[in-house]
Amino acid sequence: MSRLTSLTERLPGTRLVSHALIALVIFGLLTWINQFIDPLLSYYLATAAMYATAMFGMTILVGLSGQVSLGNGALMAVGGYIFALTSLNWQTVPILGTPWNAVWSMVFAGIGGVVFGLLIGGIAARLKGPYLAGLTLGIAVGVPAIANRFPGLLGGENGLMIQVPYPAGGYAAATGGLTDDASTDEFLGGGDEPLYEELPDDLFTDEQAVIEDDFAGDDFLSDEDFLSDDDFLSDDDFLGDDDFLSDDDFLSDDDFSTNDGFTTDDVVPEEAFDDEAFGVEGDLGSDVSAIDGLDAGFVIEQWQASVAIAVACIVGFVALNLVRGRQGRVWQAVRDDPVAAAVSGISPAGSKISAFVVSSLFAALAGAVFAQILSFVGPGAFTLGLSLSLLVGIVLGGRTSLIGAMIGAVILVWLPEFVLDVSADRGWDDQITNNAPNFLYGILVVLVVLAAPGGLVGGVQGFAKRLNRR
Amino acid sequence: MTNFIDYFLGGISSGVIIALMALALVLVWRSTRVVNFAQLAQAMFTTFIALTVRDLTGSWLLALAAALASGLVLGVIVHFLVIRPVKRMDTSGAIIATFGVLIALEAFAGMIWGGDGKAFPPPIRNTGFEIGGRVWPFSPYDLLVVVTVIVLVLALTIVFTRTSVGLAMRASAFNPEVARLSGVRVSRMLVLGWAIAGFVGAVAGVLVAPLTTLSPTAFDVFLVFAFTAAVIGGLDSLVGAVAFGIGTGLVISLVSGYTDSSNAPVVALVLLVVNLLFKPEGVFTHHKARTV
Repeated sequence: MSRLTSLTERLPGTRLVSHALIALVIFGLLTWINQFIDPLLSYYLATAAMYATAMFGMTILVGLSGQVSLGNGALMAVGGYIFALTSLNWQTVPILGTPWNAVWSMVFAGIGGVVFGLLIGGIAARLKGPYLAGLTLGIAVGVPAIANRFPGLLGGENGLMIQVPYPAGGYAAATGGLTDDASTDEFLGGGDEPLYEELPDDLFTDEQAVIEDDFAGDDFLSDEDFLSDDDFLSDDDFLGDDDFLSDDDFLSDDDFSTNDGFTTDDVVPEEAFDDEAFGVEGDLGSDVSAIDGLDAGFVIEQWQASVAIAVACIVGFVALNLVRGRQGRVWQAVRDDPVAAAVSGISPAGSKISAFVVSSLFAALAGAVFAQILSFVGPGAFTLGLSLSLLVGIVLGGRTSLIGAMIGAVILVWLPEFVLDVSADRGWDDQITNNAPNFLYGILVVLVVLAAPGGLVGGVQGFAKRLNRR
Repeated sequence: MTNFIDYFLGGISSGVIIALMALALVLVWRSTRVVNFAQLAQAMFTTFIALTVRDLTGSWLLALAAALASGLVLGVIVHFLVIRPVKRMDTSGAIIATFGVLIALEAFAGMIWGGDGKAFPPPIRNTGFEIGGRVWPFSPYDLLVVVTVIVLVLALTIVFTRTSVGLAMRASAFNPEVARLSGVRVSRMLVLGWAIAGFVGAVAGVLVAPLTTLSPTAFDVFLVFAFTAAVIGGLDSLVGAVAFGIGTGLVISLVSGYTDSSNAPVVALVLLVVNLLFKPEGVFTHHKARTV
């Protein structure tokens, strides 16, 4: 370990490479797992990655910079709403004039996060302890309520429904950037009838093996892919009262045939659903194992999960560099002793604001991912409870560690499911089941603060240290 | 103009209740230098207890008594179980711990009483007085609220300024070291501060419940209002908490009246930001020298 550390210190850029490797390995692993699990697990994976994205920012803000903030749920709302508004309203990129896609929405969500981070951070840098916590509490309660003030633009209490951007052609394109190129090429060229001929050829370029390029513009829907106004039903398309069946139209008991009328032959035999019917496996050959588990079904959860994982890994990579680099030490120095830090030539205010900006950026990106997972943004999605969950996750996992943030994210997703399982076994009623996770969170947070301020990661590290000493 | 008078009258009872809540926050801050973000979750919990007692016995006074007793006990419990052990460590820990208590209490209340809003019937008529052929938005119940709060604040003032316990509490809030050297049992005063805060919060909860609906998260928004009022008042000052509690209530009522009630938290946020930017030490602060 020490040899490794000295190596990274000697060679400039080595650290960047090793961090990129860590992020890539995690990305590859999660993406690989994502292909084999069922949609529900993909959904959990997406949610956990989304939480982790937001909580990397909490690690920096609460853990390293020492500013207890409850505002990150509101900053997620900022990101989510910007994502929704831009993808709903903007058809082309301003100035550039190129067609709009989800990557631009993510970029604008990030910019919004930075702007809000500067605003709040500028105020927050003058505050400490309970004042800051109270102000951010006000933000968490107040900002989502703003949506109610602009029902036209922001959809009010009902929020905004958004189309989840996924590549045309559905699942195949979704994994196109994720599987290796060889199988992708075979996939496209192997069959007699190209299944996905409507896809543009440039959808599967070599660059797509690189993480960042998973978000190549072409992966996302272009304008034409979205429904235009004409595609929606007009009033005339709806049934009038006359169109409905009257009572007489319904079958009476006599009209039904007896069981004898229905033989097993009437059931479509399973063979009818062979591979050819779906045309997937037959066309693809056996070596596209990557999508074997999915058969013909397009699974949107998997696409959402791959988006969430990619964003989390990019954000995690940035966070890792910041935390383990100079800036991480600056944040901790200001947290531990602002006066000493100022004497050493560090601006305490600047350090606090930068922590806020970084965490806001991460929160906004997480909010944009959250909007895609939910296909929806609304005040009900970004409650005080969301802000509190982020705080709970970071405290339970370990306040000052990025691994702690990841563990916290997993806890936030896993614990409610665990409670559901226990509840099913024990036969608790809904009232208890629904509230048990939060009850546990609250108790655990107090216990962790009292007994193991470093959270799970800190506890394990302390235990390992004690073992070493013996 | 009649609109203004209506909104103003409507804001009085919520104003005095916010004043009580701010008072509870200030009492805890003075005794332990911790903002108890769980204060209104405690109040919510004791109000649910009051509602249960009221449903069982039909008596509002018994319900109030139950809330007061449980508020006192809950304040002491939270202090002993959470704040006293954590106080030695960083302030972040104390803040996070109070949020932990808030989450746990809200969930616990949800387990027992469910998450839906419940009506808390007022003990007396809550429709406005009719004077001069017009119904004014000030009811007999609002009058009861105002009288109760005035009595409580007067009683607290007498305790703090005219009794030896009050003197000891003020001394240990002002300077714990010197107070301890003068023979004040500072740790007891801290417990007493938490107990009184729990008591005051419980009164505020029972009084506000008939004006809104009672649910585990119903008081979250009042936490923002109360915090705003307490901080503007200086977080140290009982007078400031009461004055700005009423002020905050009136401003919120006026803004809600002229625009929409969903603006209320935003207004509180703006008040808080303006105050923290231009007068972060608060208006009624005792310790100018300490903040410099």
